[in-house]
Amino acid sequence: MSEPQSGAPARRGLSPGAVTAALVTPAYLWLTVAIFLPLVAMLVFSFLTAAPFGNRAVSFTGAHYLVFYNRPYLVEVALRSLALGAWTTGICALIGLPAALALSRAFHGRTREVLFFLVILPFWTNGLVRVFSWTMVLRENGILDDLVRAFWVDAPSIGILYSYPAIVVGLVHAYLPYMILTCYLSVVAIDDEILEAAKSLGARAPVVFWKIVLPLAAPGLIAGSVLIFVPVIGSFMEPRILGGTAGVTIGTVIEDQFTQAFNWPLGSALSFIMLAVVLVVFAVFSRALRGRLTLS
Amino acid sequence: MRTLVDRRRFNLLLGAGVAAGALGARMPRARAANKITVLNWQGYGTDEAWALKLFAEQTGIEVVHDYFNSEQEMFTKLRTNPGAYDVALINSAWTSRIAEEGLLDPIDFATVPNSADLDPLLRDSSNFAFDGKPYGVAWVWGMNGLGVRKDKAAGAQSLEVLWSPEAVGRVALYDDAITEVGIAALLFGESINDPKDMKAVVEKLKAMKPNVKLIWSSEDQWNKAFSAGEFDYSIYWSGAAGRSQKTFKLPVEFIVPTEGAIGWLDGLSVPASAPNKAEAVSFINYMIDPKFYVKWATEVGAPASANAKAMEELPADDPQKLIHKTEYLKKLQFMSPMPDDRRQAFVDAWEEVKAFYAS
Amino acid sequence: MTAAGKVFLFAVLGFLYLPVAVLVAMAFNASPLYALPFEFTTHWFEELSGNDKLLAATRNSVLIAILTTVLATIIGSLAAIALSRRRFRGRTLLQLLLLPPIAIPWLIIGTAMLVFFFWTGIGRGLHAMVLGHVALAIPYVVLVVGAGLNNTRIDLEEAAMSLGSTPLHAFFAVTLPLLMPSLIAAALFAFAVSLDQFVISYFLATPGVSTLPVEIYTSIRKGFTPEVNAVSSLLLAASMFLIIIFARLTKVGGVSGRR
Repeated sequence: MSEPQSGAPARRGLSPGAVTAALVTPAYLWLTVAIFLPLVAMLVFSFLTAAPFGNRAVSFTGAHYLVFYNRPYLVEVALRSLALGAWTTGICALIGLPAALALSRAFHGRTREVLFFLVILPFWTNGLVRVFSWTMVLRENGILDDLVRAFWVDAPSIGILYSYPAIVVGLVHAYLPYMILTCYLSVVAIDDEILEAAKSLGARAPVVFWKIVLPLAAPGLIAGSVLIFVPVIGSFMEPRILGGTAGVTIGTVIEDQFTQAFNWPLGSALSFIMLAVVLVVFAVFSRALRGRLTLS
Repeated sequence: MRTLVDRRRFNLLLGAGVAAGALGARMPRARAANKITVLNWQGYGTDEAWALKLFAEQTGIEVVHDYFNSEQEMFTKLRTNPGAYDVALINSAWTSRIAEEGLLDPIDFATVPNSADLDPLLRDSSNFAFDGKPYGVAWVWGMNGLGVRKDKAAGAQSLEVLWSPEAVGRVALYDDAITEVGIAALLFGESINDPKDMKAVVEKLKAMKPNVKLIWSSEDQWNKAFSAGEFDYSIYWSGAAGRSQKTFKLPVEFIVPTEGAIGWLDGLSVPASAPNKAEAVSFINYMIDPKFYVKWATEVGAPASANAKAMEELPADDPQKLIHKTEYLKKLQFMSPMPDDRRQAFVDAWEEVKAFYAS
Repeated sequence: MTAAGKVFLFAVLGFLYLPVAVLVAMAFNASPLYALPFEFTTHWFEELSGNDKLLAATRNSVLIAILTTVLATIIGSLAAIALSRRRFRGRTLLQLLLLPPIAIPWLIIGTAMLVFFFWTGIGRGLHAMVLGHVALAIPYVVLVVGAGLNNTRIDLEEAAMSLGSTPLHAFFAVTLPLLMPSLIAAALFAFAVSLDQFVISYFLATPGVSTLPVEIYTSIRKGFTPEVNAVSSLLLAASMFLIIIFARLTKVGGVSGRR
């Protein structure tokens, strides 16, 4: 990939810095007012003994950040949540990239446009209603079993409702369109000529995929992974409804701290720890990727 | 390390971060006095369309609603929306805590004529009291007990059934720390609001692991899973059990276990910042009127009324009347106010149990 | 190869539409609890037609989603252009700052907004809802448009300029058409984020004003009826219809990105 240059030469006296500022300011000003400042308040709360309401005395404490030390059972919950994020992101990538390639290579013109919209459309239905639909599909003797038994009458039940895999299915379904479309946006720009040239030079399909397609699809894969991994580890709706007793994640723990314990400081401390973990994961991940993907 | 935070200065600091005037401050819009706002769970009596129509015809007062999904959200909305609400539904376990922050007005029962018919045990419940004054009008009460599939009900009179071999993989628990810790406390014969040994509670609940199929958090989820045959034994709400029988014809029986059930009492309160207090009180009076209750209970399904006269007027075969026997009121342990750190201990215990179920 | 690709893509679509098909089927099923066997009825659509509350909530949701989509797509795309085309100090920091809105659970962001808006006097109402919805959609737009921008060809833009175009003209004549697929994808995501956003609307709407997700989430305690499925099915049908119209009308390869 060619390195972007620092903007076009300015011809009308606007310095590149001013242009950059003009481009990013609306978005970040908006985010500051609506999200960053409120989150700063929460960050401050996470160092207080209680949310500063009413007339009770409130004091500073760092104790909430020792939550994993004081509640060792949460370590396993956190690891399971990270694993949930990894499984969901991985499966989405394994399905999403080939689907994006198929969409961009096997279809053209209007058909492709319609299919593109069809990938997003399920997203426009309410998430909760979709999850309840999944319970009908996945339960024992549910719709999935009916489908299988249409072909094999005596098939044993493969109902997986109320289990960890059921959560993964629900989450993959909820987030797959992100991966397909971000990958599509990356691979649709690949020139057919490049692929043809590589093939005519004797490169075999796996080599073409590994050396040409994958590096070019990388921005899409990365963007898709961010959009999937990050929210999934904090998810709580799919785990609660599809997971049965397996549906305990760091997201449900945080929710319970807010809704049941009324402990905003602890709940926010947990989410900031989670945020820190996410940032670390992506720092490591992007460093590793940089080594591999810039060889083109 | 431990310095006292001055809240006002703290707020000022935060507020300074916002570009002044970028988004002009908004005052709560002035409303016509013939409109009141009620804060409640969705679908919990106060928003029945026929009732509001009737109330508007009688008084000329229009009622709009804002909803919450947990008690803490109700508390938060009261704290952060002064002047927005005229009536709030508050679980009596929270009333004194909220009154303590000066968010509620005391109730003068002389202005609520129907309060004369309230069961004295409920009307004068210490849960409503703060500083010697009542801050809520008892409205409805109910129990969290056993909701069991009809054909299994005969053998399920004790909470122990949840741990029994015949219930392996057939139990649904309610995702609520206060309730689940309370269940273990009932088994131990202790106070549901202050069990002596939280470790023993955790171990007892953990032992249920092979039996627990799912943990439900809404009536909707319970109904859908029960009708699909996912479980036979559950911890369930008494009022919801009556609704499930009546509305959805589900074969569920509500059982008050031999060890007792967990009682709860919901009251209606007037926020101190309410713009239309007189109208709010007249709405509360209407809500405890037997005429409203009987229709609500028989046509929709409701928990038990705190109004003794209303309960008498229910038909003898009404499922709610059969479930909510008046004699329970003397035996039940009711959810009561508890200090924050104890509430936290309840939640921590339940989280630990859930993490164990998941592992 | 292409045949296998087609089969695979249709299999993926089958997976994506399986629960959607169930959702639509349940709108026509008699049981309020989604119980089987299937028993055809239009009862829920009749109920829906008399349910002013749910219809008003749906209308509010669609209006806010459209407003959010327009604002977030414009604002987010501008930032995406700067972030992926320009090198400047603090760029990495700005990119990292896109993560908190996605990573922190909505419940906490919503609570934080409620408290903060209360303290600062921003208050509740339509303005607060749009403020929140757009903010949550911006990171999605920036990431999606950024993913597309990384692959549009700067050499074409430069070629245009070397042929005498102004940067602005080069942008509109060359970059924008290349960017179209990304912009459309970003807009569709922004719309989805807003349409399904529950916590923000729920905390920040004026009491009495409701949106579809708020109606759904607050009613699950007691139970929502298949009227929700009916209204979702109608929304889907309307979207499908719009897509067909769009596909018939557009001549330019809108999302194909063909050069």
